[in-house]
Amino acid sequence: MSTKNKRHKEIIKKIQNIMKEISNDVLIGKKMPSLEISKVGYDNTFWSEKKKMLTLGEKKVIISPNSTKKIPTFSQYLVMANAIRKLVDEEMESTIRGMYYATLSTVGDEKNKEKFWRSQEDSDDAIKAVELITGIPREEFSVTSKPKGMISGPITLSVGGDIIDCNLGSRATSQLIPTNISDVEIVDVKADLVMVVEKDTVLNNIRKSGFIQKYNAILMTGSGEPDRATRMMVKTLNEEWKKPVVIFADADPWGLGIALRYKIGSESLSYDSDRLVAPNAKVLGMMFSDIYDYNIPEVARLSVTTEDINRANDMKKKPWLQGKQWQRELNLFLKKKEKCELDAFFKHGFKYLAEQYLPKKLREAGVI
Amino acid sequence: MKINSKLELKYQKKDSDTHTPHHLHKNPKIKYNKKAESEFFVDNSALAGFTGERILYMAIRELIENSLDSCEVHHILPKISVSIKQTDIENDLWTLSCQDNGIGINSEKVPVAVCSFLTSGKYVEKQQRGLFGVGLKMIAAFSTKDTDKPIKVWSKSIDEDSEYYYELRTDITTNKPIVLNKKIVPKMENIIKDKHGFKIVATLRARLSPITKNKIYDYISQTSIVNPYSNLIFENDDGKIIFERRTDIMPDPAKEVLPHPADMDLQTLKKAILNFSNQKVSIQTILSSSFQKLSIEKAREIIRASDIGNKLANLFSESDLIKVVNVCKLMKFQSPHIDHLSPIGEKILTTGMMSEYVIIHNKDQQLKSGNPREEANNENVRVLKPALTSYSSRSIVINNRPTIIECGIAYGGDINSFKLYRFANKIPLLYDEGSDVAREVVSEVGINKMGITKKEAKEQFANDQNSKSDRAVELLPLHIFFHICSTKIPYKSAGKESIASEGEMKKYMKFCLSELYRKVSAQIRRDLKIKDDENRLKLYKYYIPLIVDAVSDSIKVDRTKLSELFVEIAEKHVKKEITPTQIIINDNNQINNKSKKMITVKENHSTTENKKTKINENESLKNFSKRKDFRRKKIEKLTIDDFNRR
Repeated sequence: MSTKNKRHKEIIKKIQNIMKEISNDVLIGKKMPSLEISKVGYDNTFWSEKKKMLTLGEKKVIISPNSTKKIPTFSQYLVMANAIRKLVDEEMESTIRGMYYATLSTVGDEKNKEKFWRSQEDSDDAIKAVELITGIPREEFSVTSKPKGMISGPITLSVGGDIIDCNLGSRATSQLIPTNISDVEIVDVKADLVMVVEKDTVLNNIRKSGFIQKYNAILMTGSGEPDRATRMMVKTLNEEWKKPVVIFADADPWGLGIALRYKIGSESLSYDSDRLVAPNAKVLGMMFSDIYDYNIPEVARLSVTTEDINRANDMKKKPWLQGKQWQRELNLFLKKKEKCELDAFFKHGFKYLAEQYLPKKLREAGVI
Repeated sequence: MKINSKLELKYQKKDSDTHTPHHLHKNPKIKYNKKAESEFFVDNSALAGFTGERILYMAIRELIENSLDSCEVHHILPKISVSIKQTDIENDLWTLSCQDNGIGINSEKVPVAVCSFLTSGKYVEKQQRGLFGVGLKMIAAFSTKDTDKPIKVWSKSIDEDSEYYYELRTDITTNKPIVLNKKIVPKMENIIKDKHGFKIVATLRARLSPITKNKIYDYISQTSIVNPYSNLIFENDDGKIIFERRTDIMPDPAKEVLPHPADMDLQTLKKAILNFSNQKVSIQTILSSSFQKLSIEKAREIIRASDIGNKLANLFSESDLIKVVNVCKLMKFQSPHIDHLSPIGEKILTTGMMSEYVIIHNKDQQLKSGNPREEANNENVRVLKPALTSYSSRSIVINNRPTIIECGIAYGGDINSFKLYRFANKIPLLYDEGSDVAREVVSEVGINKMGITKKEAKEQFANDQNSKSDRAVELLPLHIFFHICSTKIPYKSAGKESIASEGEMKKYMKFCLSELYRKVSAQIRRDLKIKDDENRLKLYKYYIPLIVDAVSDSIKVDRTKLSELFVEIAEKHVKKEITPTQIIINDNNQINNKSKKMITVKENHSTTENKKTKINENESLKNFSKRKDFRRKKIEKLTIDDFNRR
């Protein structure tokens, strides 16, 4: 027991406090138990000028088993909270599917027997709710999802005591970023900079070109929408290890959105921005103006959808994109109605991206 | 005839021999034959609905309708017993019999009334079930055509003292009855025990599919709904079912009325003049005494307007008369009388709806007894008692014909599913529901008029039986009744099974139904509330142990105490909101119980019940606004779900 890490004890304590609240409501307050939790979503997410990131507002909601619909939901949340407490207590690890199986049961009598979970979706929702109620991200519960973030470069990780050197020197492989955050520790970082790209295909191309060795860089990708582990890694490298972070994503509103996920956070996880967001990261590309500055041929440009246009118009109003440069870029996009993927640089040759475009951009930004 | 057909054969042969095209013949002979009415109807039996599967159903229907008409015309409480039994399985022979206590048929007229097509005492302008004088004759003709058995008839007419017995067959080629036997039944051996009545026994060759058999059951039980003042006994090979009389109140019999002038055509006008052919009267007098809503002043105005001068009525030419008809078509008259219509009325329909009979088949019983020939009665009737009934009606004029729409609704109680009942002139309509105007009306009037949303209907009322239906209204425990009466029902097809919407009929049917929906809304909302409460209590029962487990697993706590207190709180939480409404429900049940015992007193009660519904309507409004608040809260709390969706 004494080996149990401090954070684990905190988590267990937090869940126990919640259970205590509920039993107090019933036993002492003689009332329907209820839990007050922070409201999550776009209408309770605010831009903090001071922190330069999205933060959670003051709005609260009350969860209580007081209606037909909420009785099952409330008990689902509690059953899941208890299961998570057990998982942490036993120092085990589970996927979300594992949690679903661990809590499977039926409710009702012989006549009306129903499944406790209609599907795994219900149990996934309950996990999210426990995150919300406790304010602790699921990775710390040791409830994990499949890792999809990747990392390459001069960095050494310790995962539950096993040392993983991400600089294998062969240029041939990357490491998956482990999702069981509580087990991961960064042992050493020898790099000068961290470069995050949107997709793994682009990462592979850059790695193969010898970029890591030439610029002593760490390459990372979230493979699309980054998971928490990837974002936390970026933040830690940027703030604890004081490494400059640059981000490259496709030149479309979607890609820009992903790049900003690292830099300012997201609405759905705004309650955890403090642990996920790296406000000092620099979004360097791919700019809409790069399409024309680097002569991406017309065949490699993509036409926009109405959704893209709506998104761009929406972005133009965001406080974090009020800088002159961003407004110029978005206006250009809205005017030209063209977008482009980073892969389009391959049209200029397979090494163009890693050997021409990226170094030029980094130099312009003063990173190298 | 025979020679004729041979000739035709020859023609055809000639054709094929010489290969001469048909049209090159100089004198293709067309023979014009007169066909007897009986022959025509036997050949075109579909016109009267006598087709294949439906023969037995139609026969039963015609017999019952004739009996009911025969009773109602003299305000006699009907007592009808019908039986249908298979007498010869190999040859598909069925023996039908029907006995009533109606006015009977004068012994002189019996053979013609039974056998000769288009002979009827019903060719007058008033609402009756049968109109054409075809049904009974059809049974006689089919019996003659397919079997060697005579039609047996016993008749004790209201204007005769003795009971007469006949054995009859129809001469199909001449439309004339063949009397095989006729005698006066000695008083002691009278079959008809009442003062008057009629009994017929006929043998038909037909097949009875299970579907048709069910239609016969439906027909009889539905007939008992609109004729709760009749005593119906139905017997078949499965047993005997008795539909008892539930009220002594009968609808006023329809009166014969004169035609409405806007409905006039050359033929009716000529007929009217012909009626006065022996008297020297002016055309104005004929008009005013042959048509309704036509004063002598109005008649003068018509003649003046048609500009045909003044002479003796029988001296006018046809073109003059056409002018009169045309003037009448354009002129404004008062709305036609409705005396010739006989609606069911609120009291009688309510009685029918309050005590709806359903037939129950005891298949198990037959298996248990092992011997179906034993006198085991395998069918029975059960009375459905709804929690609430309501009635509304409208009188309208469609194409100058007055039409009465009656609509009834029975909700809850023993009723556990949706059903639409359609009646035309008190006859149940069983086929072609999909194309009936009533069906359209039901799907076009929104159930939100009942203060219930489609979603609520689906959540609270869907069960295994009806969950397949995508129409929300069909999930409700609701029986809807539509009765259309008119001297001319706009049937969609000759089979007289579905009604087309004519003029503003549909619009007014919708009015009626909407009105009734509003009347039952309070009850439905109350039921919803109770269902919701029950569901919640059940959910608490199921889920509280899970919550208690989760809590007691995580922290030290007195399990039993936590569980007991939690259940107590949950019960209080649910009850807090249901106590007041529950009292009202009990109240209503009491009324229903009273009405069960005293049918005659119930009529007074139903009005008080209506008042109560009105009060409750206000209450439901309050509930409704509460619900809105609730919804607002819901939106606030949705955010967790919002979160989950991401």
